[in-house]
Amino acid sequence: MKIGAPKESAAGEARVALTPESAQHLQKLGHECLIETGAGTAAGFDDAAYRDAGVEVIEGAEALWQAADVVIKVREPSEVEAARLRQEQTLISFFWPAQNEELLERCRATGANVIAMDMVPRISRAQKMDALSSTANIAGYRAVIEAGNQFGRFFTGQVTAAGKVPPAKVLVVGAGVAGLAAIGTATSLGAVVRAFDVRPEVSEQIESMGAEFLFLDFDNAEDGSESGGYAKPSSPEFREKQLALFREQAADVDIVITTALIPGKPAPKLWLEDMVKSMKPGSVIVDLAAERGGNCDLTEPDQRIVTDNGVVIVGYTDFPSRMATQASLLYATNVRHMITDLTPEKDGQLNHDMEDDVIRGSTVAYQGEITFPPPPPKVQAIGAAKPKPKEKEPTPEEKKAAEHATFVSQTKRQVGMLAVGGALMLLLGQVAPPSFMQHFIVFVLACFVGFQVIWGVSHSLHTPLMAVTNAISGIIVLGAILQIGSGSILVGLLAAISVLIATINIVGGFLVTRRMLAMFQKS
Amino acid sequence: MLSQGFVSAAAIAASVLFILSLGGLSNQEKAKRAVWYGIVGMAVAVGFTAFGPGIGGYWWMVPMMVIGAVAGVYLAKKVDMTEMPQLVAALHSFVGLAAVFVGFNADLERRRVLAAEGGSEGFSAFAALVAEKTPAELTFLQIEVVLGVFIGAVTFTGSVIAFGKLAGKVDGKPRQLPGGHWLNAGAAVLSLLLAVLYLNGAGFWTLLVLAALALFIGYHLIMGIGGADMPVVVSMLNSYSGWAAAAIGFTLSNDLLIVTGALVGSSGAILSYIMCKAMNRNFVNVILGGFGGSQGPAAEIEGEQVAIDVNGVASALNDADRVVIVPGYGMAVAQAQNAVSELTRKLRSAGKEVLFGIHPVAGRLPGHMNVLLAEAKVPYDIVLEMDEINDDFAETDVVIVIGSNDIVNPAAQEDPNSPIAGMPVLRVWESRQVIVCKRGQGTGYSGIENPLFFKENTRMLYGDARSSIDSLVPLVE
Repeated sequence: MKIGAPKESAAGEARVALTPESAQHLQKLGHECLIETGAGTAAGFDDAAYRDAGVEVIEGAEALWQAADVVIKVREPSEVEAARLRQEQTLISFFWPAQNEELLERCRATGANVIAMDMVPRISRAQKMDALSSTANIAGYRAVIEAGNQFGRFFTGQVTAAGKVPPAKVLVVGAGVAGLAAIGTATSLGAVVRAFDVRPEVSEQIESMGAEFLFLDFDNAEDGSESGGYAKPSSPEFREKQLALFREQAADVDIVITTALIPGKPAPKLWLEDMVKSMKPGSVIVDLAAERGGNCDLTEPDQRIVTDNGVVIVGYTDFPSRMATQASLLYATNVRHMITDLTPEKDGQLNHDMEDDVIRGSTVAYQGEITFPPPPPKVQAIGAAKPKPKEKEPTPEEKKAAEHATFVSQTKRQVGMLAVGGALMLLLGQVAPPSFMQHFIVFVLACFVGFQVIWGVSHSLHTPLMAVTNAISGIIVLGAILQIGSGSILVGLLAAISVLIATINIVGGFLVTRRMLAMFQKS
Repeated sequence: MLSQGFVSAAAIAASVLFILSLGGLSNQEKAKRAVWYGIVGMAVAVGFTAFGPGIGGYWWMVPMMVIGAVAGVYLAKKVDMTEMPQLVAALHSFVGLAAVFVGFNADLERRRVLAAEGGSEGFSAFAALVAEKTPAELTFLQIEVVLGVFIGAVTFTGSVIAFGKLAGKVDGKPRQLPGGHWLNAGAAVLSLLLAVLYLNGAGFWTLLVLAALALFIGYHLIMGIGGADMPVVVSMLNSYSGWAAAAIGFTLSNDLLIVTGALVGSSGAILSYIMCKAMNRNFVNVILGGFGGSQGPAAEIEGEQVAIDVNGVASALNDADRVVIVPGYGMAVAQAQNAVSELTRKLRSAGKEVLFGIHPVAGRLPGHMNVLLAEAKVPYDIVLEMDEINDDFAETDVVIVIGSNDIVNPAAQEDPNSPIAGMPVLRVWESRQVIVCKRGQGTGYSGIENPLFFKENTRMLYGDARSSIDSLVPLVE
């Protein structure tokens, strides 16, 4: 199959769906790769680099759409591009089918198959093609960099000869992929980072990235997570509490990065006008939800504005495109994995398997039919795990009582065992001759000593322990020595054999122990 | 000839030295001194007994000792550290066999003394002792002989089979004759009958048949146990060899034998206990073989095994600050310990922290991995036990799992229906990345699917562990 990537037609879009690296992988699957002249220039890949990777460079978008069996793109197709689709052709790109119904209908009418990269189901097998996550990751990183660009101070706290510099305080709202990436970037720049999310189970992830989780004390223990690992809208009471928390934070933090999105809904308003007013001059708000209306009241999409009290609000919607090289590399890899799954035989033939959860889920138009929305996937989405129920801390009294109970039961068991053991001894003493009992005392004491001593042996020396016990169990040679002088030939013979093998045991055991122990060296 | 007083004093000295010798194994530096206590103790015990009262037959004894010593030196010098489990098993079998012979001798001497009727002239040390015994004491002597011979015989064949399995000369899979454990039970009941007959004055043949039955039990019991349970089996046989020595000690009225036997017996018992606990199984379950049936369907594993090549592993290692290596029996099989040591040396000289995590049942002998790593010159202070390292995995960048499977299986903790549920395992999956060195896709010894291989942060490095690590070493900066 011929896989072609046209130059993105949307204004300001610098990304490209095919990189020289991904092209090499695609060719290994038996496909041929085509690219439009200059498609990768803005992302830092010139035509020569593609040619070196064995990609055919085609002049003009029209010709490329004609030549390619599979068209891979970043943004959803424009009207012109949709008109170029034809029967049996496959388009792979971001599509946003819920928002672009008209466009979807237009594409369907052409009879082409459309795979929407934004519809890849969130199951672990599909993570490698989850373009939303890789895009969000970049957005989160870039949001911090952008904030740093606008912010007039250091991120990290320093004590210099010229005075003390306090660290910047960063608040990240929404700990999805973008939020976590922002937390990671901000902490590694040295900022003090706090984060909030409606899903309590992400607190561990937030803390693992080095941020402080702002805990919302809410009695009804509302769980904001829904299957699929995304957030869901919250109740009015919950929202009030949440806003109160933000209001408290607003006066304190220097940088706010909001990433809160709810699938299929406009972005929730979380950072209200009064909060912006209470922020210090020079503070920065980066609103990653700007494209969907923004989390902040004052956000204007694609604009950077400065409020009256000197707060900078960044509403750019093209963060991934601002890091076009990185974004293209990741996106091209996501697309490449999607094509790998579409080419199970690695024979250069597309097998559009509608039984496959991942392929079915992301296909929005197939053979002249609209296949959106998809049925729920057979495999449950990740992240739907219920938060662990909190274990109740036992009170000191309860702890004491429990300790006492174990102490009592242990005492009972020990006393019981001693009583049984004592009774057995008594019985044995009734029948056994006194000389036996004397030896028996020695035996029992030796067992006790043995148990005490062996518990102290280091685990790493268990093999030498076995070897040395091997050697000393050769003590049985004494028995043979005592018998070897017997007048009977048979007894003498058996005793002699015993002496022989027991001696092997003793000598071999000790020497091998010594050899082993000598090997243990400290660094 | 030394007087009995000297011999008794020597026995006390030897007992103390043996206890010190075992106690010294609490740490590596003390242990190097402690082994000398054991050697001196043994020399004192054997020397003073051999020149004690009533001992004869030096024409037999001395050459046998010389031959035995030469053989022992040869064995100790030539054995490979990977072959330690076999050697230990083989040495156990010697103790078992010696116990059987000494037990036979005791009975033969008893009969001779009874036949001679009066006059203790011409008797050896042991026979002279027997001649002075009262009838009640003689009955107890017989009981002790039965115990010594029975335990000795079980130890002998059991150890021979364990040796065969460990050395790969006998198939490692559990294998039993039709009838299974009923055969063992039958043989045990028959042995009991014979013992009763013997105590009631039946001939020497009862003892012989009893020994034969015990030999069968030892053989059949160990044949039914799989290769990876060998740490428990070897510890158990270690324990038995001690109890056999103690039983013979009773027969010969020799306190030194009793003390030493009890020390060895309890040592083996504790080792078996530790091994069983590390597998969350009870002793009977291990000895009777097979994993317990699962209580329900095992949890479905989702995801796929993602492969990685040595270049990928090398770049992960170069980026890491803290690396933990978890070796298992597979490392010993592939003889990869020297390559691993070389890798460790390079990583450490690059300023990275490298640690080893050892599960108690890794390998085929308790502490086997520690010895192999020590031989490959890995310093022992970076080789940690499971409990010491388990909480640190979360701060680890890369974990390399070499040739181990069940001891890193998360199902043990996450899936209550798993056959190994509840077994303590190394929680390697908590680290940032896990690299599993493995021959190919497939389950481990227990036949249980390992969800670790399907985790998102796990990468599989397929191929022979030794050549994989060897090709990795030059790629690490």
